Amino acid sequence: MAKPKVAFFDFTCCEGCQIEFTNYGDPVFLELLKHVDVVEFREAMSEKCREPLDIAFIEGSFSREADRPRLEEIRRRAKVVIAYGQCAATAGINALKNHTSDYRKFVYGKDAALPHLDSQIAVGVDQAIKVDYYAYGCPVNKYEVLQIVSHLLHGKDPVIPNYPVCVECKRRETICRFDVGDYCLGQTARAGCGAPCPADGIPCEACRGFVDKPNHEALVKVLDKRAGMPKGWARHKTRMFTANQRGDVK
Amino acid sequence: MSFHFIKDQDFPAFLSGLIKARTVVGPVAKTSRQQEKFVFARLTDPAALRLDYDVTILPPKKEFFPPKQNLLLFDGPRVTPGIEPEEKVLFGVHPYDMKALDMTDALFREKNEDRNYTAHREAATVVVSSVQKVSPRAFWASIGTEVKPKGHDAWLTKVAGGCVYEAVTAKGEALLQHGKFAAASEEQKKAARRADEEAARQCPEKLQGTSASNAKKVRAAFSREELWTKFAQDCFSCGSCNTVCPTCYCFDVQDWWHVDQNTGGRTRTWDSCLTEDFAKISLGAGAQENFREERAERFRHRFMRKAAYLNEKLGGPACVGCGRCSAACTADIADPTAVINSIPEA
Repeated sequence: MAKPKVAFFDFTCCEGCQIEFTNYGDPVFLELLKHVDVVEFREAMSEKCREPLDIAFIEGSFSREADRPRLEEIRRRAKVVIAYGQCAATAGINALKNHTSDYRKFVYGKDAALPHLDSQIAVGVDQAIKVDYYAYGCPVNKYEVLQIVSHLLHGKDPVIPNYPVCVECKRRETICRFDVGDYCLGQTARAGCGAPCPADGIPCEACRGFVDKPNHEALVKVLDKRAGMPKGWARHKTRMFTANQRGDVK
Repeated sequence: MSFHFIKDQDFPAFLSGLIKARTVVGPVAKTSRQQEKFVFARLTDPAALRLDYDVTILPPKKEFFPPKQNLLLFDGPRVTPGIEPEEKVLFGVHPYDMKALDMTDALFREKNEDRNYTAHREAATVVVSSVQKVSPRAFWASIGTEVKPKGHDAWLTKVAGGCVYEAVTAKGEALLQHGKFAAASEEQKKAARRADEEAARQCPEKLQGTSASNAKKVRAAFSREELWTKFAQDCFSCGSCNTVCPTCYCFDVQDWWHVDQNTGGRTRTWDSCLTEDFAKISLGAGAQENFREERAERFRHRFMRKAAYLNEKLGGPACVGCGRCSAACTADIADPTAVINSIPEA
């Protein structure tokens, strides 16, 4: 059987998730290349590909209408499309700008009016094309990505957690951030990362976005009452990675 | 059954001897920002054992039913089972956790015996330790009092000048060779009983009613949707209450592959009925159904399981009053005493 053709594409993002794909180390990466044929991946090779694809990894959010034809072209060519990383999945941190009107001035200064810098509300790529699977995270968890690829190679549906980070903290007996007077967003954040941040003494910031049905109101209450966060801050706290998953989505 | 006594000054040598002879797992401290919590961990240094712990983050069931357990490893068509029993001593289990182990023992043994659990359990010697410090959310003195711990091999109680060691089984008796023990006097045995009674009096929370009356009223409240919706209003479905519970035993099984795509494993992971996807099932042809889709239904299900559904099978409620769920719930809505006490009598 011919090896599945795999390609990477990027839209509005930092390309950090693609870099993560090169962080497996030589033995793992070279072994993986025995099972997939990477035909386009600008972080690591200069070749481009116009052929049909088995798996398209799309990084970055959909924030410019001008990008739609390119997304549609990728969709037409690919059997499987994976939203690769939080920007592609929900627009992640890009969606922070959705709630501001003066970002162009602050980011680009005197060049703010240049036409190619114009962009719309940042959304996940599934707002433009059908997405088959999601690799969440800022950046993606490279081991989870390896399992997603393995599952697809074996003809199985990848298993992506829809439970909160608390589950993973408890499994590894991490002391709860709330027990040490800190805050945490783990109760509504999607797991799958293995909860490394609270284990290192850092609150979860929900970089994999929310679970499908987060209880955001309860989180605001707990951040206010237990973590002592001012009410307004508690309400906006999750916006860094979940602006498009909250009740006040633009 | 025989009662022995070991002096405080002889205790470290007993532990050292034990550690030299066997794998010993016991409660040790874990800290973050000067907050001290406890976990069961493998002992290398006898001084690390903290029998003055109040409660551990996870219950000792993890020694036999770990959060992640390989059921098998495969290399192409060749399969290796994941059962690797190790003769270990589980030292310092609180009596409420022993009751919980008795329950998981029964549940994994019934019908199709689960050797992934029982093989590890049988290889262990379990030494119970009386509670020296009661945790802030404990209510073990007021729940399922008709059920007594029974699966332990020995029971250790701190008294003035040393510890009383009650050897219950031959396995418990066998540990005596590692330390300097004398026969316990009647006075020391009495002091051990008093220590247990005193700890029970210190439980800060209390469940009202009897196991039977609570089972009855919790069951009767099943259809009172407004009650469960109110209880679950601040529920995150985060699964913390399930994940720290000593009597929860549900798991999910998934396959995984190494990057060579030929070797890999089949792993079971603790599952949690509070989480949204727990009851999501396939209807075939790509269709799905979630038979506990609402947060309140899942919240209610936990109380049905803990207070009513398993009572006949276990002889009492499937809750031992450790208070781990109450402490782990950041919204503080999981406390079984608060919920069950507030359900009106049927």
